[in-house]
Amino acid sequence: MALRRNTRSVDGTIPVQALLYNDEEIYASQEGVGIYDGLQKSPNHQSGTVHISTHRLFYIDAYNAYKHSFSMDLSYITQTEYYAGLFKSSPKVTLHLSGSSIASGQGTNDDVETGFESWECEVCAYRNPPGLSPAAARVCGLCGVPRSSVPVSSASPIPHHLSSSLPSSAVSSATSSVPSLSNQPLDDAPSTIACPACTFLNHLSLRSCEMCSTELPRAPRRALKSAPSTRPPSPDPEDEDLTAIRMIKISFRRGGDKAFYAVLKRCLKSKAWEANGIGGIPHVVSSSPDSTPVPDRNTIGRSGITGILRDVETSAQGRETGMLDALHDLEALMVKAKDMVRLAAELNEKLTAASTAASAQSSLSPLSPQSSLTALNSAAEPEEATFIRSSLSQLGLQMANTPVTLDMMKDEKRWIEELARELAQVLQGSSDKDSGMMRTRGMIALDEVWGGWNRARGVALIPPSTFLLVLPHLPQFTSPPIQARTFASGLSVLHTPPYTSAAFAARLSGLLALTGPKTTAEVAREEGITLGLAEEMIGAVEAEGDVCRDEGEGRGGTPGAGAGAELRWWANLFVGYVWDGQV
Amino acid sequence: MSLSTHTTQSGFLLPSIHSAPPFFTQQPNLATQSILTEQWTRLILAYARYRRLFILRIEDAETTGNEWDEVLRNERINRRILPSHLSHILASMVATNVAAYEPAKQTRTVLLYWRLPEEWAEVLHNWATSTAQLNTILTFYDITDPPIESELSGIPLIGVADGEGVRIFAGGR
Repeated sequence: MALRRNTRSVDGTIPVQALLYNDEEIYASQEGVGIYDGLQKSPNHQSGTVHISTHRLFYIDAYNAYKHSFSMDLSYITQTEYYAGLFKSSPKVTLHLSGSSIASGQGTNDDVETGFESWECEVCAYRNPPGLSPAAARVCGLCGVPRSSVPVSSASPIPHHLSSSLPSSAVSSATSSVPSLSNQPLDDAPSTIACPACTFLNHLSLRSCEMCSTELPRAPRRALKSAPSTRPPSPDPEDEDLTAIRMIKISFRRGGDKAFYAVLKRCLKSKAWEANGIGGIPHVVSSSPDSTPVPDRNTIGRSGITGILRDVETSAQGRETGMLDALHDLEALMVKAKDMVRLAAELNEKLTAASTAASAQSSLSPLSPQSSLTALNSAAEPEEATFIRSSLSQLGLQMANTPVTLDMMKDEKRWIEELARELAQVLQGSSDKDSGMMRTRGMIALDEVWGGWNRARGVALIPPSTFLLVLPHLPQFTSPPIQARTFASGLSVLHTPPYTSAAFAARLSGLLALTGPKTTAEVAREEGITLGLAEEMIGAVEAEGDVCRDEGEGRGGTPGAGAGAELRWWANLFVGYVWDGQV
Repeated sequence: MSLSTHTTQSGFLLPSIHSAPPFFTQQPNLATQSILTEQWTRLILAYARYRRLFILRIEDAETTGNEWDEVLRNERINRRILPSHLSHILASMVATNVAAYEPAKQTRTVLLYWRLPEEWAEVLHNWATSTAQLNTILTFYDITDPPIESELSGIPLIGVADGEGVRIFAGGR
């Protein structure tokens, strides 16, 4: 059954070389082989020669070369198995076949035959010679354009007539196409199919009506069934069994199996039948009846690991191209960026000049009745200015009055200093306004400063590394000087002079001496700093030995009751203690 | 807040520092802690001498109702020394040679040298001389539990198993 479905009968009396396509090549031959159709021996193919070519596998029967020889496309083979043989069982090669030809079993013959006529390319008018393999025949040999439509479909009988002038293999396969496979005498089958729509009697091998293109009841076999008297005398038991195993076995009765299998593997790997067709994957018009086998064959070619790998390669290539394009864009933007910044700076200068002029005008006449009007004007003008500035900043172009970008300051040291000046303003506020992060607070954690500063900048944010570079310059621009300090835990803060280590220690000692032991929370409240900061600072003072701790009341009596006990800080009463107990 | 000395029921005069709560807390500052350890060592040895105590156990800090209660806890300020703190102090005492782990190879019990072994030898010699027992063979029992109470009464002789002074002196006659 698999045999019938996937093979094509050939005239074995013709030398194999004559049966080949023009682009086909014989690789190996082995005589003395038998064929198993599925699991059973195929009675008509028990002694013969197999030839393997780049495209096909030929079996030439030794006894009845004319009737029982066949060829099979290698593209049907999905998998191969090798069996070394045991005792009297000969070595075998199992070929698992794809089921793709189930529906196209009849049409395949037509399909191939179309490849055996010469045709003219629509694009370049090159006359393609006949005799190429099916895949190769589908594209123009000169320009590689796929053969867009197969004219044969509309005039199906023609190829049969034409084919008489072609190699005899085509003739034989045409004449003995289906019936010979089923061992059915050609004369017994009805030679025409009546169209169900227009009743035109179509040729047996057509699948759609020649007149009205209605799909024909595609089954000469069904037609055979309607006439039981014409059934073959030896009915094939597996005839209708579609679920049967799709494989054939080649049994090597006289050895040569290993060499043959190696060649077979190589042929399957090289995929010669596909390589020819890969340049132009045939786009046969779908209405053409010949189109069915085409996509099947393509899917076979693309499936498997090779197909996946090819897909991955293609997508990776595409991604790389896209990335390169994107980077090119970025480079172009960077080249332009300086110009844009300069433009923004100029624009901003003009705006500032305009606003100062306006304010000067308003200050000239502070008491005049027009003052309110000018005030309105000056209020309106900054609004426009603000609009322009904000749109600039939305473009990523900030102006000179706030952030300082690296572009503006060529000298990095100066840049850092400018940043420090800016940060000082953020922290202490400008003189007239009462804003500034450290106006009322003596100590502030570094992360908060960084976040606040960047929020104030809005754009061209400062990375932490730069921020840390700026900090040492900060005391120069702040009054009172703000300094950075890192605690033992790694917490970094900015603080004003009252919060230096020494000042705080003195203050804390004084506090403890005055009011007795304190908890951390009490100290924090007293100092107006956060609990975490207080903890860090007291820790620092303790490390210097100015205070000592008392870890808990209630622990003396009942164990476990002291769980809620709070740490209390004492002035260090051990230093300078003189023994006053029992001697 | 002024700290004052306190006399216990047994008549021992506790130093003023004993009523300061930080005294009972192990200080993270090493300098502070070393002062603290020094004061504790002095307090323990003084109390041991006063009460003629030879053994101090970590358990004494964990439980109540033993002879060390008056020192290791202060009920007036509701503080007590934590076993871990005491263990630290004992380690320091062993290191400064005013105590020894007894038995060896553990750290829960110490023998307190409120007199050094050499001083004990002197005391023993003086006692033997004064009681006219020189060159007399004495059992350990004779020494540790003499009919007339002496300075040596109750001394744990196992503590000098390393052979210093007393044992050789006593056994050699």
